[in-house]
Amino acid sequence: MIAIIANNLAPIMFVSVMAMLLLGYPVAFTLAAGGLLFFVIGVEVAHIAPEQITLFWPLLQANPERVFGVMSNDTLLAIPFFTFMGIILERSRMAEDLLDTIGQLFGPVRGGLAFAVIVVGALLAATTGVVAASVIAMGLISLPIMMRYGYDSRVATGTIAAAGSLAQIIPPSLVLIVMADQLGRSVGDMYVGAVVPGLLLVGLYCLYVLAITMLRPKAVPALPAAARTLGGGITSLIVILAAAVLLYLCCYNYVFFELRYETRLVWSATVATVAAYGVSLANRSFKLGLLSRLAEQVVIVLIPPLALIFLVLGTIFLGIATPTEGGAMGATGALALALAKRRLNLNTLKQALDSTTKLAAFVMFILIGARVFGLTFYGVNGNVWIENLLLGLPGGEYGFLFVVTVIVFILGCFLDFFEIAFILVPLLAPVAEKLGIDLIWFGIILGINLQASFLTPPFGFALFYLRSIAPSAEWYDKVSGRHLPAVRTMEIYRGAVPFIAIQVLMIAIVVAFPITVTHYKSGQSNINPADIKIELPTEGGGAGAGPNFSTPAGPNFGTSGGGSAPAGPNFGTGEQTAPPGPNFGAGAAQTPGPNFATPPAQ
Amino acid sequence: MQFLLRISGAIDKFTTFLGRSVTWLILVAVLVSATNAAMRKAFDLSSNAWLELQWYLYGAAFMLAAAYTLQRNEHVRIDILTHRLSKRTRDWIDLFGHVCLLSPFVFLMAYLSWPFFLRSFRSGEMSTNAGGLILWPAKGLIFLGFAVLCVQAISEIIKRILVLRGVIRDDTPEHPLPPAVEDMEDAEITGRPFGPNGGAAQ
Repeated sequence: MIAIIANNLAPIMFVSVMAMLLLGYPVAFTLAAGGLLFFVIGVEVAHIAPEQITLFWPLLQANPERVFGVMSNDTLLAIPFFTFMGIILERSRMAEDLLDTIGQLFGPVRGGLAFAVIVVGALLAATTGVVAASVIAMGLISLPIMMRYGYDSRVATGTIAAAGSLAQIIPPSLVLIVMADQLGRSVGDMYVGAVVPGLLLVGLYCLYVLAITMLRPKAVPALPAAARTLGGGITSLIVILAAAVLLYLCCYNYVFFELRYETRLVWSATVATVAAYGVSLANRSFKLGLLSRLAEQVVIVLIPPLALIFLVLGTIFLGIATPTEGGAMGATGALALALAKRRLNLNTLKQALDSTTKLAAFVMFILIGARVFGLTFYGVNGNVWIENLLLGLPGGEYGFLFVVTVIVFILGCFLDFFEIAFILVPLLAPVAEKLGIDLIWFGIILGINLQASFLTPPFGFALFYLRSIAPSAEWYDKVSGRHLPAVRTMEIYRGAVPFIAIQVLMIAIVVAFPITVTHYKSGQSNINPADIKIELPTEGGGAGAGPNFSTPAGPNFGTSGGGSAPAGPNFGTGEQTAPPGPNFGAGAAQTPGPNFATPPAQ
Repeated sequence: MQFLLRISGAIDKFTTFLGRSVTWLILVAVLVSATNAAMRKAFDLSSNAWLELQWYLYGAAFMLAAAYTLQRNEHVRIDILTHRLSKRTRDWIDLFGHVCLLSPFVFLMAYLSWPFFLRSFRSGEMSTNAGGLILWPAKGLIFLGFAVLCVQAISEIIKRILVLRGVIRDDTPEHPLPPAVEDMEDAEITGRPFGPNGGAAQ
């Protein structure tokens, strides 16, 4: 009997500790205690199965060193930075301002509010990695308006939850940081790899809403004229955007031409952005009447988040800052923004720091628990057991990916992503590597999968957040003077289903076309740009961008203004976002961005 | 009984104070990191000491706030099965967890990390990076963090026993929703009830 236990200690340990977790005691301590318990058992029975178990008492002393390893990990520093940034931004009500304005901009179109929610979700996702903040803000602002004007509540709630969950996959997201750390890859590469899948996902969401506008127009009506308080004036918006782009090009080619390309980009973008922002502000304060109110408002509202996105992602992609520093700069920027909007006081700051620290403590302690668990698990050859189990799967690489995807998807319905990332991913990574799977690609697949876990009933966090703020009883709407029905939990669940399907589709796309992710390598090696020209299933047509996929490094973010918020499914094509990264020869020609064909002046 | 209650109260006060104080270190870490990045890019000024200071601060924050987090009941649980159980059963599970899972772990870690710290302290160990900081304070933080957790474990055990015996009311916050949501509800929802004035179209 004991011999059987000794020889199968790894599976026994794994199953028992998972069962212990279901007790509902904090994960961090349960994992650690489970690890220690089996350490003792392992040492006691080690003599029976010496070829299986390599545990002995002095090994216990490795634990403080392992905690120290967790502590001195530079990558994980990004977690509190991005969390703090997210909470501060939430307090600064940036999401509300964005939704109000972009909702007005897209309102006249059928399904416009849904598009606005997706675009704002993507913008928020690109500034922070906090799902709760996005879902709650959008649920509070957009849900009542959508219901007032007769949106189908399933479409409305599904769109809001899915758009909010984008924060999980669009960089800078916490999932990607944790994934990079656990897979032993650089966060920067992970971010670059996530850009195309993230944008494709946004495109697919938009396509879905577009399909609804055609198939069930009544589910997504346009806003009536009375609801558009900002009035029209699209032309003047286009004019100011064109002017900004022109200014950027002038600066780039004539004013800053002797600078290094990064600095050149940054300065040109800054000048154009500040100019557009300045004109709008001046227009507002002196009532110059140069711009329509709509254009003025759109520019004023869009520039701060775009500047933040640039501050974080732009600096990371340009290699100016590490992801951790990007997080710190983003957090500082968010603080400045909140201060400027007078939405920051000592109390909110304290609250934000408090929430951040508690989140950091529980995340880091799960990791510490997982490390203590791991010490024993590796000592009983658990990694070998898992490896044999997974390597024995039929279908090789794809069989492995399929099984892992299914397992993670199911676990994702019940667990939160930190647990999956810290417990499961370190076990899977060596197997994936042995099968020759690119770990960044693998990480992104898992990332999209974990994003879906935010949407899967009954424990999807995004649904949870939405439920907490959606009206659960009939409510009186003052604006329309009508009583509107409650949103039933079942409607929230059913609304999420199409988006879960999109998520699965997206996993399939990334698996079928690894180039959507692996183009990150082009930053390191000299791949012929022609090789990058893969026929991607980009939607919205007009994807003649060709080799444009390389690294949509955000240099253009500052100037593009409303340009990165196209009305419709065009988002996915990557055209508006940015010119390709600095590494390419051709490619950039048709974008308004700088032409990299000539080597940058050093 | 009163004596135990006083001990537990004193411990909670101490860990709350400690936890809330170290949250500021996160803000310092943010500013240090941002300044360091900006200085490096602008003036080519950077040193490993600044880089290491960042994780020192973060380490101090999460190690010393772990006990506070435990006291506020914010270490995540997988309670998909147990959240339907009665409050009393869950209290028993918690007591079991505090005694059999939490305590062995934190006491053992405190016991192990003391010599770990001492070795580093006696040898005056420095970071291997050029211009890095001394290492023993960081290693000392590991001991301190687990020591505070030990103390908090005692307080939690006392509270759970007293709650189960009906001596005190349970004022540990429960989290039917993830913590972040609740925080936001305070700020957002109470200020703006759903419907009436919410929304863009006034």
